[in-house]
Amino acid sequence: MSSVERNTKGDGRYWRSLNELADAPEFRRHLEREFPAGGDSPPAGVSRRRWLQLMGASMALGAASGCRWEREEIRPFVKRPEGHVPGVPERYATAYDLSGTGRSLTVTAFDGRPIKVEGNANHPMSLGATDAWAQAAILEFYDPDRNARVLLREQAGQRAASWDEALSCLRAAIGTAREAGGAGLAILAEPDSSPTRARLQVRLREALPAATWFEYAPFSDDQCRAGAVLAFGRGARSQYRLGEADVIACLDADPLGHHPAALRHARDFAARRDPDRGPMNRLYVVEAGYSTTGVCADHRLPLRAGHVPTLASALEQAVTVLLDGKSPAAGDTDRDRFVRVLASDLVEHRGMGLVVAGPNQPAAVHAAVHRMNQALRNAGKTVVYTALPDEGRPTHVDAIGQLAQAMRDGQVKTLLVLGGNPVFDAPADVAFASALARVPESFHLGVYNDETSRACRWHLPRAHFLESWGDVRAYDGTYSVTQPIIAPLYGGKSAIELLAALLEENPPGPRQLVRETFQAVGGGASEADWRRTLHDGLLPESGGRPLELFAQPRSASEPELAATSGDGGFELVFCLDPAVHDGRFANNGWLQELPDPLTKITWDNAVLVGPATAERLGIVHESLATLARGGRSLDIAAYVLPGVAEGSLMVTVGYGRTAAGHVGGDTVLGVESVGVDTYALRTAEAMSVATDVAVSVAKGRYRLATTQDHHAIDRVGAAGRDARVGQLVRATTEEHYRQHPEFVEHVVHTPELKSLWAEKAYDGHRWGMTIDLSKCTGCSACVVACQAENNVPIVGKRETMRGREMHWLRIDRYFEGAPEDPSVAIQPVACHQCELAPCEQVCPVAATVHSAEGLNDMAYNRCIGTRYCANNCPYKVRRFNYFNWHKDLKDARNEVVKLMYNPDVTIRHRGVMEKCTYCVQRIQAAKIEAKNAGRAVGEGEIQVACQQVCPAQAIAFGDLADETSAVAAGQRSNRAYALLAELNIKPRTEYLARIRNPHPLLGGTPELSDDERSGHTG
Amino acid sequence: MSDLAIRADDNTGNDPLRRAPLALGGQTYASVTETVCAVAEREGTTRAWRIAFAVSATLTLAFFASIGYLIVTGVGVWGNTNPVYWAFPIVNFVFWIGIGHAGTLISAILFLFRQKWRTSINRFAEAMTIFAVMCAGIFPGIHVGRVWLAYWLAPYPNQMLLWPNFRSPLLWDVFAVSTYATVSAMFWYLGMVPDLATLRDRAKTPIRRTLYGLFALGWHGSARQWHRYERAYLLLAALAAPLVLSVHSVVSFDFAVSQVPGWHTTIFPPYFVAGAIFSGFAMVVTLMVPARAFFGLKNLVTVRHLENMNKIILLTSLIVGYAYGTELFISWYSGSTYERFAFFNRAFGPLGWGYGLMVLCNVLVPQLFWFKKCRTTPWIMLVVAVLVNVGMWFERFVIIVGSLSRDYLPSSWGHYVPTAIDLLMLVGSFGLFFTLFLLFCRYLPMVAIAEVKPVLPVTKPADETA
Repeated sequence: MSSVERNTKGDGRYWRSLNELADAPEFRRHLEREFPAGGDSPPAGVSRRRWLQLMGASMALGAASGCRWEREEIRPFVKRPEGHVPGVPERYATAYDLSGTGRSLTVTAFDGRPIKVEGNANHPMSLGATDAWAQAAILEFYDPDRNARVLLREQAGQRAASWDEALSCLRAAIGTAREAGGAGLAILAEPDSSPTRARLQVRLREALPAATWFEYAPFSDDQCRAGAVLAFGRGARSQYRLGEADVIACLDADPLGHHPAALRHARDFAARRDPDRGPMNRLYVVEAGYSTTGVCADHRLPLRAGHVPTLASALEQAVTVLLDGKSPAAGDTDRDRFVRVLASDLVEHRGMGLVVAGPNQPAAVHAAVHRMNQALRNAGKTVVYTALPDEGRPTHVDAIGQLAQAMRDGQVKTLLVLGGNPVFDAPADVAFASALARVPESFHLGVYNDETSRACRWHLPRAHFLESWGDVRAYDGTYSVTQPIIAPLYGGKSAIELLAALLEENPPGPRQLVRETFQAVGGGASEADWRRTLHDGLLPESGGRPLELFAQPRSASEPELAATSGDGGFELVFCLDPAVHDGRFANNGWLQELPDPLTKITWDNAVLVGPATAERLGIVHESLATLARGGRSLDIAAYVLPGVAEGSLMVTVGYGRTAAGHVGGDTVLGVESVGVDTYALRTAEAMSVATDVAVSVAKGRYRLATTQDHHAIDRVGAAGRDARVGQLVRATTEEHYRQHPEFVEHVVHTPELKSLWAEKAYDGHRWGMTIDLSKCTGCSACVVACQAENNVPIVGKRETMRGREMHWLRIDRYFEGAPEDPSVAIQPVACHQCELAPCEQVCPVAATVHSAEGLNDMAYNRCIGTRYCANNCPYKVRRFNYFNWHKDLKDARNEVVKLMYNPDVTIRHRGVMEKCTYCVQRIQAAKIEAKNAGRAVGEGEIQVACQQVCPAQAIAFGDLADETSAVAAGQRSNRAYALLAELNIKPRTEYLARIRNPHPLLGGTPELSDDERSGHTG
Repeated sequence: MSDLAIRADDNTGNDPLRRAPLALGGQTYASVTETVCAVAEREGTTRAWRIAFAVSATLTLAFFASIGYLIVTGVGVWGNTNPVYWAFPIVNFVFWIGIGHAGTLISAILFLFRQKWRTSINRFAEAMTIFAVMCAGIFPGIHVGRVWLAYWLAPYPNQMLLWPNFRSPLLWDVFAVSTYATVSAMFWYLGMVPDLATLRDRAKTPIRRTLYGLFALGWHGSARQWHRYERAYLLLAALAAPLVLSVHSVVSFDFAVSQVPGWHTTIFPPYFVAGAIFSGFAMVVTLMVPARAFFGLKNLVTVRHLENMNKIILLTSLIVGYAYGTELFISWYSGSTYERFAFFNRAFGPLGWGYGLMVLCNVLVPQLFWFKKCRTTPWIMLVVAVLVNVGMWFERFVIIVGSLSRDYLPSSWGHYVPTAIDLLMLVGSFGLFFTLFLLFCRYLPMVAIAEVKPVLPVTKPADETA
């Protein structure tokens, strides 16, 4: 822990326990017990020996009490805190805020250092799952690039300063502003659900009424809010109950992917995708590019984002007409048929349907959706509305525009930027950076010394959520407290600490601030409530009550639902990146190396175009395209992705960072940017879709680092691939499945398989896994969870290009059907722990061997790296350490990164093979615990990392020997099949075939007869 | 017919009434000794030899430097990737092991079959075998991820109480190759003892006398020594003969025993052995044609010798071609999607050019040897032999890299691109091979003097028929 030892110049308060920090009565009582009054006077009637003992002890105590350290420091556990057993991980509930929505977490700490993030199983918005971003928080927390300290920009560049300097400068500026009632002071904050921050914001407004407060995030729900205002006359937040919905229509919406409640949605949605447990739901998606939801769709209509409003309008009309008992207008295009079938399906499932519009769509589409949901009586059942926590705030685009204008006009003397990175992600035409240059005194509180920090006069290091107090509200309004797992590594402060420091000279500590808010939120909650909230990670029943709202009929003033992009030309759609979000995670190697769910691109962004559009533009895969708009242009690699709507060009943002750090790119450090900054083309009036984009082919090729299809495939390969995808990812329709429940067995027919060896008998546990392809959304959280749990290294862009990525778990993606409108097959693949493992037979040094419980164990110490096992693995799940991927740990600046690793998992040396172990460390921990308690390991007691994080609960793990276990039941199910079972390797992981539920009138996937589907291979 | 006639300066005719002489130019015992020993006893070295040696020694240095770099940095310096876990190094290994087949075949099997024409080329071929096996042996050793632990492949009692995994073909490989290397070296050395004694006896400097004497093991040519020598030679030949078949069979098990489509085929052992003999003979011809001209051995290593080798090349080429055909047929006949794809992809996929090159060099080009003119013209046979070696290298490349790059799951298909280190090591291994070969030519008897003498016409008059 010595490296955690912080520099004593920082002015953080240190505390030994949460109790001490709170100065809780328990702690005082504890002190009393420890040092009772009168302990130093000899008691009457003692022996000489006893007297000497007591005197000696009290002298020592007296001497000790005479020693005063200037301040406490985080020290190694020389004295063990009560209740702490060294080496036994402890778990704490905490929470963090991402773009204005809280997410509740459980963090595992090992001897005081956080090493793994999980979702909070008690929390209704998590139910134990997290997204990939939360999983990667650990890496961000230990990122040495956060070690920026307080920096002051002077002529010669940034120099290190102290919090005292910064705060006195800030207070002086505020003091000046105070004389004018706060005029001249502006605060630009990123959206944050923190009630404490809201409380401090109110206090700030009271103290400095003329100060201005702006909020900006590059992606917001402003259109959803405006839509609610149009429909209901007030802002509201839609809470979807996907589990209740039989028919779900998503209009450019991604409730399973980029949605603040995506985790809950995925859980509810997946629960309805198991044909063996009740009727399945049906999902229709209309979208330009592929979203996570689009991947799961039963019917997906690729449509330009700009054409979605007209489709929404047609759908509303069709629904209205059908509800009136008439038949809708006939049309013969695919789109007409889609709308007709969808409308009739929605009407048929009145009250059990759901229409969802995405945040990229204009307010009028949202209003139409609200009206439809009401007309279909879905409102109140599959969708309920809750109040907005910050009703009436200006839109983010307006806010940033106003602020920039005020800065340019010289009205802002002091600017405090709380989080966010507006210099990087503000709309290009706002020219935030140039406006910022006119502000004399500017401060940026940021986790990294990023673009905004470098443009401001002061960079103030922000405490990571794992090291600070705070509070959040989840999407449904549930209140959670952020509690620190460790003292700030780099002397950062949280936003609420900073705000409190502005308000008073000696502010209460952050814990006290949150505690006070809790008092108000909890309605006079007791200390016990507080403790329970800390422990459970949420305050129950703190979510908002559902609102009774009625959608008004379309008013005359409401804008027409017209196409926002023409039929010709192109539209450019800006999307949040599944890996680096809006750019904030650009310095996170795990996320940079996380393959995009669809394109499998790592370490880059690209412009995605459909095959027809690419042909029209003359663009080929991995060629460079020039996108130009309003005098700005950029060159970006093109990725030809099947299923992108004709005329649509999709780009994700967040790449091309110039001040991210050693991973994401940094001009000062000389680290090349990763990807291209597409914010350059994003303007205030075209935050989601730009129609005036000019596209041309640029000279040159650009190799993208993809983890699948490392190069454009040839005709032979494509034919070979297409011939086997149906055997690998087995799927059928619900109807066909009901008629032929045993269909999976007939996909591949083999002669009787006999073993060469006497097969091993297992008398104890037999670990096994099932992966439900019906449920998996391909969100990729499991990939990062596995990486975090198992100390899986990243290899960088160049090595990924070579195909040397190390992920133990990968998600295979195949397309089926026409390139313009294919369906996507997703299949997570990790080691299958074959009982007749081909890898084991060929290892010359017996480094990979079978355990008594059927695990295919890797003995890293024994492995000499012949790589024969990997050749012989038909799943290609083995990963080889071609280099020492941990070499950079020798670098002094990376010393802190060592704290990140899971101590229960070996860090692999170069030249050694590795692969998924079924999280054997978790199995062993559970077994040891059960043994100590003298009981058997119970069902569900062991959760492997990928299973635990999965929002859709697609992965089941357990003991096959236990007939009652979920995994045994899964493997008995009709849908269960083993991948490549014809090789007679008896994998322990089985898949549950994907069942879709297409509407009979739309056909869905062409239904094949058993014979056509089956390979009948030997 | 004129091509049947055997003339004084040409022994390529096939006169059924006359056995063709195996040495030309009226050789006597003394002249044979003189011709062979002159090469080793020459004062100083020729300019051509020095240039060749400088080039190959430089490449050898580069080879070992890149090995050093590899060991320090990690096997990632090669182009091996996730599906293509084995690539150039293993291709090179199989290639060199294959080359190493001609020597023992010529020494042992032709000896047992009493093929007397072997006598003037066996020393040469055996030397080539040893050097090829040395080159081959380096690759699996440095191929492992943790070179410093490569000795764990050996079964020895150890504190870990662990034996290697005897089910692994790689382990069989260790035994097969090490046995082959040992027996080949012994065979070569044993056969050389009488000639080393000759060199010792003719030595003019004490250093030469001491060194040759040391390795001549006190040979003085007594009848008893000759008797023991002949016995030992026969025994070793009998021991080595099965090795010719076993070593490449075992090497092929590395592939055949695995379940990679394109590797998992029962035809591999004979196919690999035939291919090995094919490439081995091609390499002997490649080396022999310039060497006999350069060192003035044309009368001992006659065109007839070369022609005989070319006939074997033609035969093995046909076997190899047949194997290619069978392989394709069986993959189709198996009905397995994966098998069919593996071979279809091999021929027409991204590495189809390699397959085409392989068929061209290994099957089509050697058909030239149906023509006597091509069999007996040194420059033509040199070109053919070099092409055969190129083709055989590509055969291994196509099998190893082609099969691995596309196996079962299309998601994991990959693309292999060699790095500069890969190419350097391939070229460097040739450097090592030629360095050793040049040293051999310079300091050791290139032709088995003691074995050529009994086949000279002087001992058996030309008109004597067997």
